[in-house]
Amino acid sequence: MASPRGTTFRFGSRRVSVPPSRSLLSALMGSHLPILQRSIRYHRPRAPFCGVGQCTNCLIRVNGIPNVRACRYVPSDGDFVETENSWPSPAVDLLSALDVLLPGGIDTLRGFRRPAWATPLYHRVVRRLSGYGRLADPGQGSPPPVGSRHDTDVAVIGLGVAGAAALRTLQEHGANALGIERGSVEPLPGTPVLPGTAAAFLPPPVPGPAHPWRIVCVERGSRGVQVRARAVVVATGGYDAGLWFSGSDRPGVMTAEGALSMTGNGGRGAFRKAVVFGGGPRAADLLDRWGALIEAVVAPGAVSPEVSEKASALEVPLYPRTLLLAARGRRRVRAALLRSRAEGTEFAVEADAIILAHRRLPHPQLYFQAGAKMEWRHSAAAYFPTLREGTETSLPGLFASGEGAGFLGPTAVEASGVAAARQAMGMPAPAMDEGSRVDATAPNEIEGYYRELLTGRRVGGKWVICPCEDVLLSEVEEAHALGYRGIEVLKRYTGVGSGLCQGRYCLPDTLLLLARLEQRPAPEVGYITQRPPVTPWSLSAFATLPEDGEPEGPG
Amino acid sequence: MMPPSRERYHTVVVGAGIVGLFTAYHLARAGVGPVLVVDRGFLSGGASGRNGGGVRQQWETAATVRLARESVDAYRRFGGEFGYNIWFRQGGYLFLAESPNELERLRRVRTVVEREGLRSRELTRSEIPRYANGLELDGVVGGTFLQSDGTLYPFPAIWGLYETVRSLGVEVLLGAEATGVSASQGKVRGLHLATGPVATDAVVNAAGGWSSEFSRRCGLAPSNTPTRHEILATEPLKPFLDPMVVRLSDGLYFSQTMRGEIVGGLTLSHPPGTAPGMPSSARFLRAMSRALTQLVPRLATLGILRAWSGFYDDTPDGLPLIGEDPRLIGFFQANGFGGHGFMLAPASTRRVAQAVLGQPSDLDPALFGPGRFLGPPRERPVEGAQLG
Repeated sequence: MASPRGTTFRFGSRRVSVPPSRSLLSALMGSHLPILQRSIRYHRPRAPFCGVGQCTNCLIRVNGIPNVRACRYVPSDGDFVETENSWPSPAVDLLSALDVLLPGGIDTLRGFRRPAWATPLYHRVVRRLSGYGRLADPGQGSPPPVGSRHDTDVAVIGLGVAGAAALRTLQEHGANALGIERGSVEPLPGTPVLPGTAAAFLPPPVPGPAHPWRIVCVERGSRGVQVRARAVVVATGGYDAGLWFSGSDRPGVMTAEGALSMTGNGGRGAFRKAVVFGGGPRAADLLDRWGALIEAVVAPGAVSPEVSEKASALEVPLYPRTLLLAARGRRRVRAALLRSRAEGTEFAVEADAIILAHRRLPHPQLYFQAGAKMEWRHSAAAYFPTLREGTETSLPGLFASGEGAGFLGPTAVEASGVAAARQAMGMPAPAMDEGSRVDATAPNEIEGYYRELLTGRRVGGKWVICPCEDVLLSEVEEAHALGYRGIEVLKRYTGVGSGLCQGRYCLPDTLLLLARLEQRPAPEVGYITQRPPVTPWSLSAFATLPEDGEPEGPG
Repeated sequence: MMPPSRERYHTVVVGAGIVGLFTAYHLARAGVGPVLVVDRGFLSGGASGRNGGGVRQQWETAATVRLARESVDAYRRFGGEFGYNIWFRQGGYLFLAESPNELERLRRVRTVVEREGLRSRELTRSEIPRYANGLELDGVVGGTFLQSDGTLYPFPAIWGLYETVRSLGVEVLLGAEATGVSASQGKVRGLHLATGPVATDAVVNAAGGWSSEFSRRCGLAPSNTPTRHEILATEPLKPFLDPMVVRLSDGLYFSQTMRGEIVGGLTLSHPPGTAPGMPSSARFLRAMSRALTQLVPRLATLGILRAWSGFYDDTPDGLPLIGEDPRLIGFFQANGFGGHGFMLAPASTRRVAQAVLGQPSDLDPALFGPGRFLGPPRERPVEGAQLG
């Protein structure tokens, strides 16, 4: 069946032919943004949002296997692709009546209790609505492969700017090193790298043996890899944050990364006139790339000179210090409803997409899992590892570099990678300028933004603050009013942050909301324990992990 | 941290988990004087928020079957009484045996269960697929099934109890660690909190995984020990599995929640003691993934959403400690549930409240009494059904 011209697969009753090595998502993109999923509670239409395999918006069934992420899957000839969790189709789903009939949402905590005789019936109905895909067909999935183990002196996790610099430095010094990279990577002569391999779990170090660090990795989503190392350089970087507004889960709302991945891989038609939200370097990037497709740049605060220059050159209107109140449009964004923070005037900008480029957040999971000391850096409103000297964390042998460790700008990010590699080899710590890191105390923009947005007159419609679990803003506020405190309790009460994205797109903002409601600093509201795995990798991948052979400590 | 609002309470309950809150509920309903519940952590932060939600009545000891049966009735009524829907679904418990010995053990349990008037079924291998979908039954020789066992969603049970006891006048202090009791002439006189002492004649130790430590802080050598157990949840699937499935050989247990996730664990021996932070381990992820994909191959491609761990509060004979500690008048033990506090709490805590109130109880002190391990060792019944 292999065709030299590309790949042909079946999508429901259609045949789709695409050039090879495109993601399934870009293959299905066609002339407009596809609606591939429905949300779990209200069956709201969902189109691709994050583009990096974290959100639930592009889950699809491939060859009888449920919950495959279309943005990460590269189709093969003869694949059979079906949508899931909707009837008759994600575009027209009769169960979306739930969304219309229940504007205030479903109360699964206190509803469905009376009359008592109807309980089994409620159970049957609610249960049938739960879940995404159906159980995999029998005999699907390739036979379990065998996992592998690698021992190394220094492991580098993530080969972006900082990680690549670290690995190069290690190679130059002839160190025994290993690079671990989730995506693809240029080979580095003499130094082994594991491409397509994601670190899933970094347990606390086991004291004693030559390799106290055990990194549980998953290769190509299906094979367990255990790396044992004497020292670890973490360079996992960051991601583009989500944002809350009425209809923030509507098709057409996406992160900057999502927009880049959907168009970058040959997909067309993700948007024609987008509102970019953000006034920093990310917004400048987007203007460079798609100036003609951008209808307006809206920023929560001031706009950088770079953005304002580019926007005026392209004649793109600029709205600094503006609240994004709502996405208008049901099956697709039709307009962004805005309010000027200075004048309070409300106006709409017609758009078919809202691209979120206002805030970068670090990936802190591995540091948390390892038990490294973390600190809240106020200007970013996020946690970063506490660094003792140079790039060394509170745990000997664990070094932090790059954007995920709070280093800002390409120069400092690269320098932190070099420094981490040197320290991992036992060389003295080069002086790292504190000014090159995210400020620990300077005010952050997003806190004030949300205070104004959430205490001001609120636009109607559902505010879905946790898109994975369809949790509404009103549910968190109600739990607070009932006396529940702290993010751990609110997560368990409302389900916020308990979905497939592991809270990446809702917890950072929930933390700020609770800090305001509970009138205490965000770090006192707590933080959700970062449970393994970092991303929901398959049971079969973990089943293939090699036995360790050495006794495992309490980690 | 806020100090308690009063200087004196009728009873102070240590631990705001399912056992502590249910005890406070029974006391408040009985109309005793002021009741205070203290907890060192946050609501649902201990085993009450970390368990797999299984509720079963299949036990080796008849007295435990009776407690479990009464608890099942209480959970059926929970939504109406406590204002929260706990989604208690009686999808049954399916036990799987892989050897004639294991089958014999299941039959012994079945005899006890049937004698208590519950209708359990013995299943041949070929009958099992009628009760659970997708199982690979190579190696399975048979099993037992009790339809009225089931699963619930633990968190709302805590919310419902928390709000109900507070509406009944019980004070609940969270983030308040109890550091010991004050006693004179062998009687409890008060409790120490970080904010200072409170006076009371009755202290209930319902601290779950921390209860042995609290006993020790009160000068009482504990007969229970916390052991760490791990558990995981997968991505949600459309419903396909009704019962909780338990395999005897390795203690593998799993069920599908109302949200569609597969939640389960297996018995893995961890060094006893309290590891800080209650972490997960690569060893568990590997062992659990192997066991689950071997028994249900169609789950192989399903993603693990999260793994976490908690404490079982184990006793030497597998039975809980319920009642007044004979070494200290006014000190009541309500612990040692060995990972089954949620299943037994509603009925067990009624007996704890009876003990606090000085009322007669139907529990045999030789089976459940906190004094049963004191004195010379002797032969006593053991509850061996310590699974799922």
